[in-house]
Amino acid sequence: MIVQTSLLVGLVLFSVLAILLRDLLRAAVSLAVTSLLLGIIFFRMNASYAGVFEISVVAGLITVLFILTIALTNKGEEVPESKLVNLAFPLFFVAFIIIDALVMKGLLRKIPALPSSPETGAFGDVLWKGRTLDLVGQIAVILAGVFSVLALFRKRDKHD
Amino acid sequence: MTNTWYLYLFFSAALVFAGLYALLAKRNLIKLFIAIEVIAKGVSLLLLATGFAKDNVLVAQALVVTFIVIEVSLVATALAIIINIYRHTKSLDVRKLAKLKG
Repeated sequence: MIVQTSLLVGLVLFSVLAILLRDLLRAAVSLAVTSLLLGIIFFRMNASYAGVFEISVVAGLITVLFILTIALTNKGEEVPESKLVNLAFPLFFVAFIIIDALVMKGLLRKIPALPSSPETGAFGDVLWKGRTLDLVGQIAVILAGVFSVLALFRKRDKHD
Repeated sequence: MTNTWYLYLFFSAALVFAGLYALLAKRNLIKLFIAIEVIAKGVSLLLLATGFAKDNVLVAQALVVTFIVIEVSLVATALAIIINIYRHTKSLDVRKLAKLKG
C-alpha cells in the first residue's frame, strides 16, 4: 500500500512538473517518467499487458514524437506565457485536493454496487472474443491516423 | 477494496484537474497537448482501478489497451497538425489561431 501510494504521488508530481516546466524538452521527459510510473502501477495491479503497452508505446513512442515535434518547431519556447498562471496553479491545486479528499468518499458510496463475478480465462480470450468490435475500431483508428498524417505531410502542388 | 479504489480515484481526479487547468491557462500548443496527455493518463488510471476494484481486471485491461492505441493515433495526427500550423504561422501561440484572415 505504501509503495503504491508513493508511486501515485510520484505520478501526480511528475505530471505537475510536465505542466509547469517552461522548457518543453524537460516537460516531455517528465511526461515520459509519468508514463513509466503509470506502467509500474499497472504491473502492480496485475495488468501486465496494459503495463507493457503503457511503457513501450506511451513512454517510448509518444515521447519520441514529442521530442521530434519540439526539434522541428524550435521557436516554440518563445511563446509568452503569463507568469500568473504558474503562480496561481499551486493555490488552485491544493484547493482542489482538499475538495477531492472531502467529496470523493461520499461520491463513491453513492455508486450502486453492480453485480460482478470474478473473471476466468486469459487476457487473449477476453480481448479477441469479448471485445472483437474494439479491435475493428482500433484498426480503423490506426488507418485514419496513417492517412491523416500522409495527407498533412504530402508535397504541395505548384498551384497551392 | 473500497479504500484502494478511493485512493486511485483521488489521484486520477487530481491528474484530470491538473490537465484541465493547463488546458485553460497555457498558450503554447505543445504544452496544451501535454495537458491532454496528462488527462488521458488520469482516465486510463481510473479505468484500470475500477476494473481492479470490481475484480474485472481483464476487461479493464482490454479497454486500456484500446485507449492507448487511440491515444497514439491521436498524438501522431495532432503533432502533424501542430507542425503544419508552425509552418504557416511561424509560432506555436494558440492566440494566433484566432485570426481567420488567411
